[in-house]
Amino acid sequence: MVRVRLENVVKRFGEVTAVSGVSLDINHGEFFTVLGPSGCGKTTLLRIIAGLEHPDEGKIYFDDLDVTELPPYKRGTGMVFQNYALWPHMSVFDNIAYGLRVMKLPGDEVKRRVRKILELVKLVGMENRYPTQLSGGQQQRVALARALVIEPRILLLDEPLSNLDARLRIEMRTEIKRIQKELELTTIYVTHDQEEAMVMSDRLAVMNAGRIMQVGTPSEVYRRPKNLFVATFLGRCNILKGKVIGRHNDLVDVVVNGLKLRGVLTGKPLNEGDKAFCIIRPESFSVREGENLFRGTVEWISFAGSYTQILLKISDGRVITANVSSNFRAETGSEIKLYASSEDVLILHPEEEAMAYSKEL
Amino acid sequence: MSSFTKRLKRELDSLTTTQLSASLFILIFFLIVPLFYMVIRAFFHNGRLSSYYFQALLSDPNFVTYPPNLNFAYMSRTSLGTFLFVGNRGPDFGVLFNSLFVAITVTVFSILLGVTAAFIMARYEFLGKIFFRVVLLIPMLATPFVNAFVIGKVLGQNGLFNYVFHDILRLLPFKVQISGLPAVILIQTISFFPIVYLNALSSFISIDPSMEEQAETLGARGFKVFRSVTLPLALPGIAAGAAIVFIISLEDLGAPIGLSGAFGSGLHQKLISFYIYSEFIGGLGSVEQVHASTYALAVIMLAIAVAVFLSIKKYVTLRQYAMISKGGRFNPRIRKLGPLGLIAVYLFLLGLVITASFPQIGVVVLAMSDWAYNGLPVPTAFTPQFMSELVSEPDVLRSIMNSLTYSSMATILMLVVGVSAAYVIARRKIPGKDALDSLVTVPIAVPGIILAVGYLLFFATFFSGTPFDPFLNPGFLLIFTYTVRRIPFTARSVFAGLQQTHESLEEAALNLGANRWRTFATIAIPLIAANVIGGGLLSFVYSMNEVSTSITLSSLKPEQGPITFYMSQVIYSSGAVGTVSVAAALGVLLMSIQLVVMTVSNYLLKQRVAFLGV
Repeated sequence: MVRVRLENVVKRFGEVTAVSGVSLDINHGEFFTVLGPSGCGKTTLLRIIAGLEHPDEGKIYFDDLDVTELPPYKRGTGMVFQNYALWPHMSVFDNIAYGLRVMKLPGDEVKRRVRKILELVKLVGMENRYPTQLSGGQQQRVALARALVIEPRILLLDEPLSNLDARLRIEMRTEIKRIQKELELTTIYVTHDQEEAMVMSDRLAVMNAGRIMQVGTPSEVYRRPKNLFVATFLGRCNILKGKVIGRHNDLVDVVVNGLKLRGVLTGKPLNEGDKAFCIIRPESFSVREGENLFRGTVEWISFAGSYTQILLKISDGRVITANVSSNFRAETGSEIKLYASSEDVLILHPEEEAMAYSKEL
Repeated sequence: MSSFTKRLKRELDSLTTTQLSASLFILIFFLIVPLFYMVIRAFFHNGRLSSYYFQALLSDPNFVTYPPNLNFAYMSRTSLGTFLFVGNRGPDFGVLFNSLFVAITVTVFSILLGVTAAFIMARYEFLGKIFFRVVLLIPMLATPFVNAFVIGKVLGQNGLFNYVFHDILRLLPFKVQISGLPAVILIQTISFFPIVYLNALSSFISIDPSMEEQAETLGARGFKVFRSVTLPLALPGIAAGAAIVFIISLEDLGAPIGLSGAFGSGLHQKLISFYIYSEFIGGLGSVEQVHASTYALAVIMLAIAVAVFLSIKKYVTLRQYAMISKGGRFNPRIRKLGPLGLIAVYLFLLGLVITASFPQIGVVVLAMSDWAYNGLPVPTAFTPQFMSELVSEPDVLRSIMNSLTYSSMATILMLVVGVSAAYVIARRKIPGKDALDSLVTVPIAVPGIILAVGYLLFFATFFSGTPFDPFLNPGFLLIFTYTVRRIPFTARSVFAGLQQTHESLEEAALNLGANRWRTFATIAIPLIAANVIGGGLLSFVYSMNEVSTSITLSSLKPEQGPITFYMSQVIYSSGAVGTVSVAAALGVLLMSIQLVVMTVSNYLLKQRVAFLGV
């Protein structure tokens, strides 16, 4: 169990800045996820922590020890690579035993610990197989076992589930989480899958273009995104542009083309007269009477099983997406009213516009 | 500055430092420095910087004959009948331009034959294709000197060619004798065209068929598709093969020496390579006896080879098309032929394989019969005598032992250097890596005979009396010439293996606590073992067959000579009856080793054209 601290880490590859000024604090035993689109620098960040890349600027600390100049083989991290990186010329046993043999442990001890870890990842009896004889999920477990068996100070996981099919992915994420809790390992997990990140993490960092956009618990990041990128990356959003007309503590009144909305300010502060973004997630709408009325005509309605999706054309001609309770019925072309609680209407500073991931619905 | 030194300190761990310094040491000390010293010497006259030797060379009619003798062929009556003599008196442009003329002509012919054969093999389906595929590789089997001797014997006044086409079939109203530069061109073309053939073949096969299909859907047909799509896409590979043919033709000694065995002296000797060779075998006692014009000639040859190499390399890198097709494997486009096309293909291929594999077949016949000394166009009796002399004749046996010793040592050395250099280039991000990359490729452009001159000059001047003295230990130096000359290919073979191995496999070991040495030994090396062993085997064969440095440096101390040196002596001085047959027996031995190694390494590398290494 180790605390990991990154101080203003910068990494450039030629002209490209892969990581630009990242600072993070990861706690003892925490399951911490770095979430971002592909090419955002999250894997580079993980490799910097493992020592496989050297940062151009900044420091990395494990507890209070500065490990920035330490080569990878002296850092004591256990890493699971995206492609598993299992050695094809070694059996499952030899793959897992490698790190223990490097430590020069006696043969019995190696056997004992490999056996124990095989039980943990449920692979007993596979010792003599070769990686090519294993299924994707089994390979993934061997990679995990190989990283865990050395009792690493930090577990690093680089999109370990991205090569698995959907069902196996869900199974394995529970498994990884179980093992991590059992061993109380400080774990840094890199993924582009926002659902995976939310389900597994104690806290997560959303990253884009080499920068950390927001750090927080899954619910903080989802419900109180600090900027448009985080809001759009973590789920679908209706984005409406408006103008601030009043403030009441945390709550802000905004007018969008004549439609008056009240919502929570989640990003930078705003003053009366400022332009603002209103973000409303489809599932925040309700047909039950409440705050923030949206009146419009049903353009399209479809049953999606656990919810019913409505495309609603509101007064200014804009179409918003709303997911409401699946027993709601309405005809296409009919007039309906939808409501959204001011807790669920997120008001953001417009300077984030440039950074928008732009998934406007 | 401090961040730079810190970075250096971090990147230059002990493994990288060792690998880098080992490869740099060998390449600089045994390649760059000797050549550099030779260039300096060529530009100094009476202790002053001067182009004196170059001027002397260019104004000497032996080197630059003006006007050139263009008397290509003439008819003459001799006691043996009416003859058409080809190449006997001309063409002759002088030593310098003869070499260029031969190299350019051989390259052009090799491209024509190689590309045509490759296109047929890559795109058409016909009966016996597998037979042709195997037989087309026969000319790759190296039998230095003896192959040229066979051609000389066949094309001689009383040779098989005249016997068959004049005496028996009576197709020719007169006899023909081909010698001089045309004979050199013929021999080199049939020995070297397979290099273009194999490069072109692998280029054609790797072209995504949809590229050609797209052209056809747009209305292009037949030759238009070939000219506008297929050929341009394959051109980088063909150009690389052609450049190599040019350089090895320039430095070739096999043809002039083999023809000397068949015809004695003549225009086939009026070449740069042979001129330098004759300096060595003229009985040198010390480095002072080497005529300074030799350095100048060597520098000119080096300059031509390097210029050709660099321009082709630039062209090839400029046109490295990324031919990665989306999706998985594709089936190459293979078509059936109409009856006329089929006849044309068979005529072309049969003519080509019969001509091109004749020397190799002839060598086997020479080794096992009385053909070499019966004075007749055909062999009349089988004899196992010469093959058995391989193990009974002390001189022959010694040359075999010498070859085996040098080649094994050289193989070990070039694997160490090749693996080190390839690993640094493939895996490390140190400053100066690009320089190492070019340094490893440079030997392709250095004719062996030039390297021999450089060694003679440099080591005899500065290391006289030491183990590196070429007059005392030419055999020891051969280990280094083999190593340096073969490094580009060994390193590339290893580099290819490393490229196919994901770097994360090594990173996983580093992550688990293994240091760089351990990672290299337990992960990297086992994963590229096939490439290392395959590359090593091919390098061994290369060393056994190496000609130009072997026969020049060894002449300073004949008892240290390897197989090729012994063969060259026998052929060149073909005095004692029967000895040519022993050289042929040695040729059979070399071909057998090459066949075994080709089979093993093809199996290892699972790649049909692997043995070429180009």
